[in-house]
Amino acid sequence: MPAEIFNPNPIVFSPAKPTGRLADLHAQSLWINDTTEPEEGADDVDPIDQDEIFDLIRSINDPEHPNTLEELRVVSAPQIEVNGNHVMVEFTPTVPHCGMSTLIGLSIRVRLLRSLPNRFKVDIRLKPGSHQSELAVNKQLNDKERVAAALENAVLVDTVEQCLVTAGRRGHPE
Amino acid sequence: MESAERLVRTWMASGRDEEIEETVSEVSNDRIALIDIVKALGEYLTSEDDEIRAKGVDFLSSVLARSPVANFNRSSVHVLTNFYCSKLDDTETIIPALKGLNTLTRLPTCSSIDATTIIQALFRHVKMKALVHSVRFTVFSIIDTLMAQNRDALKALGKTFIAGYLSLAEGEKDPRNLLLAFAIARVILIEFDISDHIESLFNITFCYFPITFRPPPNDPYGITTDDLRQGLRACLNASPSFGPLAVPVFLEKLTAGSPSTKRDTLQTMAVCLPVYGSTLARVSGRKLWNALKLEIFQPTDPLTEEEALKTTRVLVETIYSHEEDALESNDDIQGLARDACEECIHILREPEKSSAKPAIKVLCAFMATTPSVSRYTLSQAVPHLVKLFLDPDEVSNRPPILLLLADLINAARDSTSQSTEEVSPLMIPYKDDVLGVVSVGLKTTLSRLPALSVIRGLITTKSLLSEEELGFIVHLVTETFQSEDSDNDDFSDSAILSVLTTISASVSRHVQEQTLPILFSSLPDTAPTREAAAERAKCWRNLLALRTLCVHPELFEILVIRLTTKVDLICVPKAKDDIEDDPEPNTAYAHSLLKTIADTLSAKVDAGHPDVTKYIDRLVPRLYNLFIYSSLQPTKYVIATDHRLISVAGDIIMLVTQCLPVQRQEKCITAIFEVFSSGDVHGIANGLQTIPPGFKLLLFNEATPTAQKNLLPLFTAGVVTAHKEVRLPIPTLDTFLDQALTWSLVHADNDLQRESAWHLISSIINKHAEDISSFLDNQLNHYWYLRVANTEIASEKRQQAIQAWIWISKGLLVRNHPMAVNYTDRLFEVFNDDSISWDAGKAIGQLASVDVILTKKHHAIMRILHAQKFVNRVLPHIIAGAQDSSRPPHEQTAYLVALTSLIEASPKTAYAHEMPALMPLLLRGLELPDVDIRADVIKTLLAAAEGDASEQSLVSEHASTLVTYMLKNSMVEEMSSMQVRIPALRYLGVLPKIVRYDVLHPCKSIVLRELAKVLDDPKRLVRKEAVDTRTIWFKYNG
Repeated sequence: MPAEIFNPNPIVFSPAKPTGRLADLHAQSLWINDTTEPEEGADDVDPIDQDEIFDLIRSINDPEHPNTLEELRVVSAPQIEVNGNHVMVEFTPTVPHCGMSTLIGLSIRVRLLRSLPNRFKVDIRLKPGSHQSELAVNKQLNDKERVAAALENAVLVDTVEQCLVTAGRRGHPE
Repeated sequence: MESAERLVRTWMASGRDEEIEETVSEVSNDRIALIDIVKALGEYLTSEDDEIRAKGVDFLSSVLARSPVANFNRSSVHVLTNFYCSKLDDTETIIPALKGLNTLTRLPTCSSIDATTIIQALFRHVKMKALVHSVRFTVFSIIDTLMAQNRDALKALGKTFIAGYLSLAEGEKDPRNLLLAFAIARVILIEFDISDHIESLFNITFCYFPITFRPPPNDPYGITTDDLRQGLRACLNASPSFGPLAVPVFLEKLTAGSPSTKRDTLQTMAVCLPVYGSTLARVSGRKLWNALKLEIFQPTDPLTEEEALKTTRVLVETIYSHEEDALESNDDIQGLARDACEECIHILREPEKSSAKPAIKVLCAFMATTPSVSRYTLSQAVPHLVKLFLDPDEVSNRPPILLLLADLINAARDSTSQSTEEVSPLMIPYKDDVLGVVSVGLKTTLSRLPALSVIRGLITTKSLLSEEELGFIVHLVTETFQSEDSDNDDFSDSAILSVLTTISASVSRHVQEQTLPILFSSLPDTAPTREAAAERAKCWRNLLALRTLCVHPELFEILVIRLTTKVDLICVPKAKDDIEDDPEPNTAYAHSLLKTIADTLSAKVDAGHPDVTKYIDRLVPRLYNLFIYSSLQPTKYVIATDHRLISVAGDIIMLVTQCLPVQRQEKCITAIFEVFSSGDVHGIANGLQTIPPGFKLLLFNEATPTAQKNLLPLFTAGVVTAHKEVRLPIPTLDTFLDQALTWSLVHADNDLQRESAWHLISSIINKHAEDISSFLDNQLNHYWYLRVANTEIASEKRQQAIQAWIWISKGLLVRNHPMAVNYTDRLFEVFNDDSISWDAGKAIGQLASVDVILTKKHHAIMRILHAQKFVNRVLPHIIAGAQDSSRPPHEQTAYLVALTSLIEASPKTAYAHEMPALMPLLLRGLELPDVDIRADVIKTLLAAAEGDASEQSLVSEHASTLVTYMLKNSMVEEMSSMQVRIPALRYLGVLPKIVRYDVLHPCKSIVLRELAKVLDDPKRLVRKEAVDTRTIWFKYNG
């Protein structure tokens, strides 16, 4: 752990309400308690959407605090865009001088590398104007070679794994 | 005397145990005096040869150790004591001499003079550093025994004793000896005058703190770290004089230690501080608080944080508890509590920040200290939070403020809940303010849940709120529940309902008067249309609320009246043109209303409410009436003829009748059998709709219309719940069962009727098997060949006959009836019959599965472990059948089907021992085309994966095959059903946890590559499993 703590007392937000999908409501049967088993229909395709990607990254741990990225509002569902095979994830560091931004971005990158099909191209960016070295960080996060090099570094991968331990919770407390 | 000499001589030569034994028995029988042995040993004890000397003393000590207590009198003990003490200065004899002394000190005849002699001799001659740990243990044991039996003699020695002991105990390292040393030290610290030796005693105890001992493997003495910790702690908190010396040690260990050291230190502080006293606590309070604060605000881990909070609580308690009576007003609280409280309140100025949580935890810990500190803390914190909440600049921070407030209120509640006497709740002065705050907080979506937690804290505090205030809360939350503009979700709904349920448990009036009318009036009289999904969801939400609230007896009564009225209105509308073209929405709506009654009833039955029985008169006749009436005009009143409605009505009847006493059941059964025999329904049905007086409901009559025959489940429901003591009012049960069975296979029109008839038959067989032997014989020897084994009838009919067979067998099987074996074995006879072998195989599993008809609640006769017994009997046969390659393939397949369905249905313990034989068969089962079987197999494998090491090593053998199969079953191209894809992915995720890395790592790259494809599965649920499984494999490293 680095000696310097960039933001010792960040704001903790209560988690956003899980957004119900409107389509789910309409797909419901007329009969109460009838929907326990998901429909088998082979034709229905659930596309990968903003909410699903948010679910993948919302519970990643902040490297500095025992809170998730969602609780610190580093990531949020509206900051994610899915367009065909292109995904755009935007995140907001808690303070503009946050030295952890690259690590957070890398954690998101690794999580999505492991969890999304290969056909997607993922762009990860800082929210414009939220960080003093925005351009440098963006460049670093979206440069394939530099990401690959970072993942060769065992210590760094270890730190990333630490952040990803909780990623499987998908917004649930435990 | 001569025999003594002989024995001694022999022993000196041989060293055998026999001589000792013999000597002991001679001594016990008074044939040899102890003094004779000493005399006989004479020459050896003074021998020049070191070895002989040691041996001589050892012989004496061994004899003493085994001699009975009665053989020692005061003078012999005295002589022996002096003898042994004189042997302590001889390095060769010190070990056996200590052994002898150890025996002597335990004797009741060991006087205080002897004790003094022994202890002085020990101090003079024993050099601990020269002895091995087992001998040192003897020394500690001697002192420990003296301490227990001759404490006054030791006390009389005064400082000499303490000084002597200190030099003996110093530098001890062996854990077994330390346990004794700690026990001795505790007595010294508490009972002896230690004023001159505090520092030395501190040194020989605190040098062990904190204990870092880790027990070696195979430790013969089984001493744990915790034993030593407890022993040491008992010393550390034995004397208040340690206080000033101990605090710096604690502070040092707290800052420097590992997490487990920190926890140990915190726990030790918590037991020591009260002993060290309030003066010290007050003086060093600031320093201690600063150290504790660090552990709370930047905790290493949650456990340490909790310990730090506990220690803080003890610290504050120690400072303030003795002056409790003097503290009358809040101004009297000075010092640490005030400072720390102010510090925390300062942090709470930013309630949304992450430090607010630990700050409120500290304040909550204060609530558990003394009443005056609790009062003070509340008087500072609650008004502060309330003010902050009302501050217009802080509107966005209202949710966290409310959460903090809820924590505080819960702590206030718990602080007084333990005390037995009636104390007025601490929150009383602030409740009006808080109620004001929550009424605002409930209004907005984000602060709703936090506000509800505050409310829950308030209503669970005993005697805090008045009845009117409870009414106000009911009003508030009911309003919130109904408010149209804001969106509620499942979380806030369940929180609201839990508040209302809690209130109605003590005072149901408010919920009855305020909530229920609103809920009922929002249920429409006719169903929302097919497209109106949102309205339907609202109805369901209201019904869910009713179901949760109306478990309470008084409220349930209202629920039954309101909902049955509504059901009547929907099923039998007044005006003819109310009947819609599309009856399904209304049917589903009526079903949901009945389902609500059934679910609530079920909750009441589980809770053992006595008021359930009265609904046999209020609810059951109405249901019969409605459904019979509807079945008379099935085209006009179509709704109540729906199968699903009939089923749920049957459930209600079962729930009510199962609670009735025998006499009342008898009355009900008589009425039901009246219907079976004569068709007269007026004894059982009674309600708004008028059934024509001459109407006969001839259920088992061929010519009866389907809609009427469909009513059988309602009558079955009343029969299957009867006690076995209830007499069935028919002349011969055999004939009745025979007719019912024939009817189910020949005349019944659909599965509803058939299954209902089988339930009826099965339950009667189970409860009255003694009276129907001719029926049972007849089935086994004729029915089977006529209906099942008969290849001339259509296979569909034969399949139905197998289903009936299952139910007959089950009735016998659950009560371990001797004929059950004959029935179940028949099924194997058709395994070679291609057209029904698959069904027969599955039937084996159904026999072992749990069902809803033959249950304890329905008073079925059930023997424990009947399923295990069945599985143990048939499993070896099935395994053999599936392995036997001389059988035709389709018969082997039938065995395989039987195997998979049996295992899926039975408890794991029943087949765990057969796992080695089962594994290859299960893998073969994965190749069967049937989706259900594959899903069953994977679920069985998942269950087996939770088993012990032997089963897991079994998995290792097949690991790579399993990986291949599971990957195949998780691909959408290979396996269309997500019911198989999901468990297959789960099993893939389990494998790395139970298989050693070196076995499975060759598969890692394949799994990761293949799972990448599954990440693109069309179904979201499958993708979720794929992501989790792939994550597990990414982390799978050696």
